[in-house]
Amino acid sequence: MSIIEAKLNGIASQTGKVKIIVAAIILIIMGTLPFWGSGYMTNVFLLIFLYMSIGMMWNLLSGYAGLTSLGQQAFIGIGGYSVAVLTQVYGLSLIWGFAVGSVVGVVFALVISMPIFKMNGAYFTIGTWIIAEALYIFFVKWEFVNYGIGYPITAAYGIPMWGLYLASFIVGIGSIVIVTLLLKSRLGLTLMAMRDDSGAAEVRGVKLYRTKLICYLIAAFWVTITGCLLFLNQAYIVPSSAFTIDWTIACVFIVIIGGIGTIEGPIVGAVIYVFLRQILYGFPGISNIILGIIAIIIIIVAPKGIMGYLNNKFNLDIFSIRRRIKR
Amino acid sequence: MDPILKVEDLAISFGNNNVLKNVNFELYDNEILGIIGPNGAGKTVLLNILTGTLKPTSGRVTFMGKDILGVRIDERARLGFGRTFQVPRSFENMTAYENVMASAICGGQTTQREAAKRAEEILEFIGLEDKALVLAGSLKLLDKKRLEIGIALAPHPKVLMFDEVAGGLTESEISNILDIVKSLKIHGYSIIWIEHVIQTMLNGTDRVLLLADGYDIICDLPQIVLDSNEVEKVYLGVRKK
Ligand SMILES: Nc1ncnc2c1ncn2[C@@H]1O[C@H](COP(=O)(O)OP(=O)(O)OP(=O)(O)O)[C@@H](O)[C@H]1O
Ligand SMILES: [Mg+2]
Repeated sequence: MSIIEAKLNGIASQTGKVKIIVAAIILIIMGTLPFWGSGYMTNVFLLIFLYMSIGMMWNLLSGYAGLTSLGQQAFIGIGGYSVAVLTQVYGLSLIWGFAVGSVVGVVFALVISMPIFKMNGAYFTIGTWIIAEALYIFFVKWEFVNYGIGYPITAAYGIPMWGLYLASFIVGIGSIVIVTLLLKSRLGLTLMAMRDDSGAAEVRGVKLYRTKLICYLIAAFWVTITGCLLFLNQAYIVPSSAFTIDWTIACVFIVIIGGIGTIEGPIVGAVIYVFLRQILYGFPGISNIILGIIAIIIIIVAPKGIMGYLNNKFNLDIFSIRRRIKR
Repeated sequence: MDPILKVEDLAISFGNNNVLKNVNFELYDNEILGIIGPNGAGKTVLLNILTGTLKPTSGRVTFMGKDILGVRIDERARLGFGRTFQVPRSFENMTAYENVMASAICGGQTTQREAAKRAEEILEFIGLEDKALVLAGSLKLLDKKRLEIGIALAPHPKVLMFDEVAGGLTESEISNILDIVKSLKIHGYSIIWIEHVIQTMLNGTDRVLLLADGYDIICDLPQIVLDSNEVEKVYLGVRKK
């Protein structure tokens, strides 16, 4: 028994080492991409990291906290506009755009949480969408943000491609780190319990409101930061691009096909989504329809998404979230 | 001695369905109180009221001298209410070990380290240590029922409430559960144990309450309740309307 256990522990610590080495290799390759890859590849992976970030946060909300939002574009828009207004109108440096944006994003989340957290299920979903839509209309009519005309973000031209890439890389990897640490923490078991059965979790003593709010604020913060980068990359912002529901639809696609309620899901989903978008670029009219069909096929074949399927089938635990018994 | 839990004039209706009309009983410290009643008598409804997922139409529930009907569901768990679900509701994509840990953390407000230790103790106690790392969703019924007990037990509750933990099990499986319940009594727990029929609980309970037609019909020693006319009437169909 003890020999077997010792061997098992040996294997476990070996896979631990292998994981660290593989992760390090991937991080080094990805982190240095702009210095050896083509400009096209750099741009594709920049997008992958940004979409990974918003997908990861949407997954935290919908996959764990039971908060299915269709209004994440509100935070992307707030991020984008913070950068645009502070650099264009006030001539401040970019860092101010990020700082002010993230504060505004979190405060906005806190304020709207009061009414929308009173709503459940579909009402919450619709509520978030209506608020994002209202924000769009408000921006179109708001002189301070130059109405529907928007702004060019000239500060973006001052950033080298590798700089923007590295920032996106950090935000993308950062989203994985945030969610992983959250799930490994004490709160993580609470989140997983909520994911599986929130009613039973409450009976076990989970403070649903508080836990949901924590997730909502974390997501608001990180999505706003991601929004800053998404619009630095576009170098132009108008309300219709800032507050379009397309952002959240992308999140839904990424999380559903990748695997909701898993960490790996949004990573795989983002890679697939961005590559598909590149391929479908030539078919602007029907690209959403094709994405929809692909999503439906994957849902039928693997209802828990690609990683949900693989995790179950091979009993994977890539990010070592499972609690192990220490002896 | 004051009861740990006291239920007075409890009533609840769903539309025209007056499930509980007037229910009264007490649970004493370190007592195992069995509750029996036919299908639809409102046994599960009663537990749902006690744990806060249903609000009664009227009545009082006093827990350690405190009226708790206004207390939130999650707070009641932290006050010391642990329950099982008749249809097991363990967290299916978490392992048995994580299920117990989660309950210890949420209801018992422990650290992860303490929760891990507690989970190991409990899994051993309920005989699930060799399935600790199996996903709860893939456990078979007996193991799911055991896990329900383990989850309920994790935060050291003051009152344990079991909703048909022996329901659907075979004879030998039931005796397994019975052993667990008996040793819980030795550990000092106070337990409300619901079953569909009294036979299961005859030698595991201190008193048994018969719940039928919305009332606490009789509450006495198990053998007395078993032999009573009331049980005869309720279970042999000669029910007075
Ligand atoms: N949330 C609810 N809304 C409406 N009616 C309900 C609700 N919960 C229970 N009931 C009704 O209350 C009655 C009692 O149900 P309950 O589940 O408590 O019975 P029980 O005594 O536990 O029976 P069993 O032995 O079958 O478990 C049933 O008629 C049921 O339909
Ligand atoms: Mg029942």
